[in-house]
Amino acid sequence: MGTRSLKHMFAAVAVSALALAAAHGAASAGEIRVGLVTPLSGPIASQGIPFSKGMAAGQHLIPGVNGHTFKLIQLDDESNPSLSTRNARKLIDEDKVDVLVGTGGVPGAMALASIASESKLPLVSFTPLFLSGEKAAWSVTTAQPASLMIQAVVDTMKANGVKTVGYIGFSDSWGDLAYNTLMDEASKAGIEVVTNERYARSDTSVTGQALKIVAANPDAVLGGTAGTPGALPYIALADRGYQGAIYGTHGIINPDFIRVAGGTAEGLLAPTGPAVVADQLPDSHPSKAVAGEFKAAYQEANGEEAKDAFSAYAFDAWKVIADAASRVDPSIEPGTPAYREALRDAIFQVSDLPVTHGVLTFRPGSPYGADDRAAVMVKLTGDQWVLQK
Amino acid sequence: MSLDIALILSVDGLAAAAIYLLAGLGLVLVFSVTRVIFVPFGDIAVFSALTLAFLEAGRTPPTIALVAILAGLTTAKECWQLIRQRNLSRLPRILLAWGALPLIPCIPAVLAAGRDLPPAVAVAISLGLVLPIVPLLARLVYQPIADASVLVLLIASLVLHFLLSGLGLLFFGPEGFRTQPLLRGGINLAPGLFVSLQVVLMIATALLLALLFFLAFEKTLTGKALRATAINRTGARLVGIRPSMTATLTFGATSLLAGVVGILIAPATTMYYDSGLIIGLKAFVAAIIGGLGSYPLTALGAVAVGLVESFASFWNGAMKDVIVFSLLIPALLVRSHYSSHSDDGAEEEV
Amino acid sequence: MGRARRLPLWIPALAAAMAALPFMAGSFTISLVNEIGMAALVVMGLVLLSGIGGVTSFGHAAFVGIAAYTTAWVNTELGLSPWIGLVLALAMTAGSALVIGALTLRLGGHYLPLSTIAWGLSVPLLFGNMTMLGRHSGISDIDPIALGGFDLMRPEFVFYLVWVLVAVTALFCHNLLNARMGRLIRAVRGGKILLASVGADIFRVRLALFVFSALTAAVAGWLYAHANRFVSPAPFSLHASIDYMFMMVVGGLGQLAGALAGATIVIAMKSALQDVLPLVTQHAAQIQSVVFASLFILLLHHARGGFMALAERFMQAGPAHGKAIEFPVEPLARRAMPERGTLLLSVENAVKRFKGLVAVNDVSFDVKAGEILAVIGPNGAGKSTMFNLLTGALDLSSGHVEFMGRDVTAMGQRQIALMGMARTFQHVKLRPQMNVLENVALGAHARGNCGYLRGGLNLDGDEERQIMAEAALQISRIGLAGQEHELAGNIPLGTQRLIEIGRALAADPVLMILDEPAAGLRKPEKQALAELLLKLRESGVTIMIVEHDMDFIMKLADRLVVMNFGHKLFEGRPEAARADQHVRAAYLGNAA
Repeated sequence: MGTRSLKHMFAAVAVSALALAAAHGAASAGEIRVGLVTPLSGPIASQGIPFSKGMAAGQHLIPGVNGHTFKLIQLDDESNPSLSTRNARKLIDEDKVDVLVGTGGVPGAMALASIASESKLPLVSFTPLFLSGEKAAWSVTTAQPASLMIQAVVDTMKANGVKTVGYIGFSDSWGDLAYNTLMDEASKAGIEVVTNERYARSDTSVTGQALKIVAANPDAVLGGTAGTPGALPYIALADRGYQGAIYGTHGIINPDFIRVAGGTAEGLLAPTGPAVVADQLPDSHPSKAVAGEFKAAYQEANGEEAKDAFSAYAFDAWKVIADAASRVDPSIEPGTPAYREALRDAIFQVSDLPVTHGVLTFRPGSPYGADDRAAVMVKLTGDQWVLQK
Repeated sequence: MSLDIALILSVDGLAAAAIYLLAGLGLVLVFSVTRVIFVPFGDIAVFSALTLAFLEAGRTPPTIALVAILAGLTTAKECWQLIRQRNLSRLPRILLAWGALPLIPCIPAVLAAGRDLPPAVAVAISLGLVLPIVPLLARLVYQPIADASVLVLLIASLVLHFLLSGLGLLFFGPEGFRTQPLLRGGINLAPGLFVSLQVVLMIATALLLALLFFLAFEKTLTGKALRATAINRTGARLVGIRPSMTATLTFGATSLLAGVVGILIAPATTMYYDSGLIIGLKAFVAAIIGGLGSYPLTALGAVAVGLVESFASFWNGAMKDVIVFSLLIPALLVRSHYSSHSDDGAEEEV
Repeated sequence: MGRARRLPLWIPALAAAMAALPFMAGSFTISLVNEIGMAALVVMGLVLLSGIGGVTSFGHAAFVGIAAYTTAWVNTELGLSPWIGLVLALAMTAGSALVIGALTLRLGGHYLPLSTIAWGLSVPLLFGNMTMLGRHSGISDIDPIALGGFDLMRPEFVFYLVWVLVAVTALFCHNLLNARMGRLIRAVRGGKILLASVGADIFRVRLALFVFSALTAAVAGWLYAHANRFVSPAPFSLHASIDYMFMMVVGGLGQLAGALAGATIVIAMKSALQDVLPLVTQHAAQIQSVVFASLFILLLHHARGGFMALAERFMQAGPAHGKAIEFPVEPLARRAMPERGTLLLSVENAVKRFKGLVAVNDVSFDVKAGEILAVIGPNGAGKSTMFNLLTGALDLSSGHVEFMGRDVTAMGQRQIALMGMARTFQHVKLRPQMNVLENVALGAHARGNCGYLRGGLNLDGDEERQIMAEAALQISRIGLAGQEHELAGNIPLGTQRLIEIGRALAADPVLMILDEPAAGLRKPEKQALAELLLKLRESGVTIMIVEHDMDFIMKLADRLVVMNFGHKLFEGRPEAARADQHVRAAYLGNAA
């Protein structure tokens, strides 16, 4: 191809982009626009892709409320908070979304919360958020607060007579968060945290860190990790003959983790939302029915079985939006500042909403809506997560 | 730190060093023959590891499609060039060399996918599938700019890395895979020092391949042709060595090395679509310690990188990579000290 | 690149259009344009450093990060104003660049780019592991920049600040490139021997350039921190560094305007791909990087010069013109020449060994002020090696050289050049992308003293006029008046040798060392050259010359030194050389 045709190609791309930008701007009346920012590539794509599929399941199940249809517009932030910001602005500005949803990774989600309060539209996240003041007035998350989950872990540890615990986590914001929460909860329970080892998701070996933990010989080890890269420490600990109990966080609950960890994570105890063990829940549990709906919707929307724990959080975000939108005064048109404000108010009035991961009640001042119904402990037995009573 | 721990860390470091050694050899080979700094080496290793994982899981490896697409693109490009030159007599050869030959390994892969395969067969199929990838990519990407400066070639390499990791995500998805160990069990070298056979296999394969590599390069005619091209391209052409042929040969050897790296590393760790870059970069540190030219020094560099990495992960896991990359500083200082006197530093225009 | 032009009319027009943008576009477009501006700041530094200076860096996002984190930290922890943050960010970045540069910039070839990858990877990792810097979660709630009691909170307001800074930086870079230090920057690729021959130290130039480019990145980092009001390690990763490099290549290596074009094209195209691809495929996000990479490879294959090369093909390049040379009130000061006939240079028992080979073996001779001394001998006699020993380009294995009464044996090339020894090269070392005037002006480098700051701020007018007048004078002396604004690369090789003589003359030398100046010249040109050299001798300049054309030499030289196989065969008057048996044997033996 000559440079000439290359020039033509560039021109074509530019022209089509402009045309599209113009097309995007025109919102059709009556549509509630949901803007999703999520990492579909980059280091945390393994969270972002399930989030995207969970949203698709939500849209499949609840395509509209009050005569308005939902329109979902999704952008990839490549696991980079700068791009989360840029994409949020794009969604707000060009796509005129009424509500933002996203993203994987705490820094990116926090960046979205800033944009949400600055642009005065609600954000429903599925990642832990730490907000105060004006920012807290616009954002909620369907994730359980880390303290709730880690507390469940520490309670189990205490019940099992654990006195010392070793920590190994990702060297990223999730690893930091899990460690800090563990330090808080453990000191309350009188358990001593004896190591703080870190590794990168892409590392090929954690032998050194595992040796250090084995040398410290704690009663139990907690991994502050997520997904398949979270399996590495358990494999290394097993290789080094560690005999103590092993614990994990809710980030690792997915079948790919079991596949990669092989037998080495047998007996692993971890907190999770009820969605993961929905079939083992008593019928009275509020999440049981919703989890069933989710599984069916996921299957139909994505043509595959829901196996991970992330997609359910995104589905819950959809439920929250749908519930809130159904309570917005029908006379307010979507796409207006009044609608966004009303939607925000409705989100903060969400009360006892059963979702896949427990029951959500949002109140102004805090982004979290989960209570202890959202945390259960599960044990890895064979290749199944078994609910612990 | 007790002696036990030091020994275990050393074994772990040597296992990593085996990987860096093979990767480093590939990088040095490509650089010396073609002046290409082949950043995407690790991505190719990832392709081979994930292909094997897919075969083991009874799924059809998407690598087949990749090879077919690349072969199609390359053939189309070559044919187009011939048509423009009105040199149709060479058309059948081109079709055979770029269109048909790379597709041969796809046939057993298509037939075998979904069946329960013996490990050796799965490994052979994976290696076969990866083998044509680098030569095809090189023909598509590097050959049209073979005369460009090292910098332009380096930029092309980085772009190629992004291209391949993008394809990796598209084809293999974001989740990690770990393959079955080729050898199970292990030996007790000392009390408390259990070495798995897989690690022994890694180190032994690396040593054996490195030795073969060395012999092939020093003793065979092809090896000498490669070396001649490395030393003087114009001179090599004058004595009848075709640089494009040696380049294809080099890239083929690199492909195979990357394939072996992927097969060896996949049972020892979880491989992701984007695991390649960091493996490639660490192999670079080894290759740079060897001055991007010396095979024995590269081996030494690989051992240094592997051991430093292993011990650093014990002392400070989070800063491990910073420590490994800072190994470059003394290596580069020594190197610049020895090269500064004769080197004028005048550069080619881009 | 390079030719000083008047400010074209389109610049004010563009500025006006930019000023109106916030009133027409939405806040997303504005923040996208802001992002382009910040990237352009980084890429401008990179263009100077990598595109022009040839120092490749795959780690510049780390500098953006160092500045962003510095200002974020002092703002949130110490409560200092963003403006103090700017000063500290610049200082911190410059300090880091000095350390990194001192460690790596001596490296040649491909080692340097690879080592930049290493620190480009390490620095963001450090950010993520420092508790002080908020580890991986970063630092949030950074204050917006306040300007006259007014917070620049919204992108529309930051917009003006960003683009004023882009414009100021672009102007500074443009001025700098056309100033005394800029000529040096553009000559860096000529290698250290060329720079030392005009009295400059290549390492210092590269280091200064490196720090300068880090500073433009720091400005971008400061803007980023206060515009986003949040920093975390991801935006400063190796990936981001490589993106900056891509922008530079897309824009066009070595073109200042290319920085802006590259940043715009890359960022706008990624944004456009994000819109277009979902229409075609479900896996848009994953395909995006594949499509981008493929387009980039096509660019490398078909338009390696980037956007600016394409643009130049479109815009009919007008006839080369530069600023008219104004004659200054006062010409550059001249050196006092040593008195004719006094001892200027003496070589005692000079030996140079290259591993086993002895290229110069125990050679001694003297040069007196005001004479023309020719060194002749068959090919491989060691003449050029001898010249390299005298000028300090090579170290002696043993022996002594004294120049103007000082022992210069151990001195570097640069100090010797500064003492008044100017040279030309057997393999011409001109900068093909600079015009004749600039190439010659490079020779007068050591006679000026305006640095980077005065150059960039355009406060060097008087000195520039002096240097340009001097260069123009020397160009007319070598008979090339009227060709001042031709690119040196477009000039025939023989004439290029004359330009090298002009460059040497511009240094106001005491001793000129000419390595085969007449090679490639036609007869009348040789005649003119001989006349020029004789005139120079009249004015007190001493000349050493290596030449193969015997007629030329015999008419010109006062004395000859004849070398063969590294030995001195003969020293004396040309007539005596003709009669000397050894000399005849050497030449006849060589011919046979």
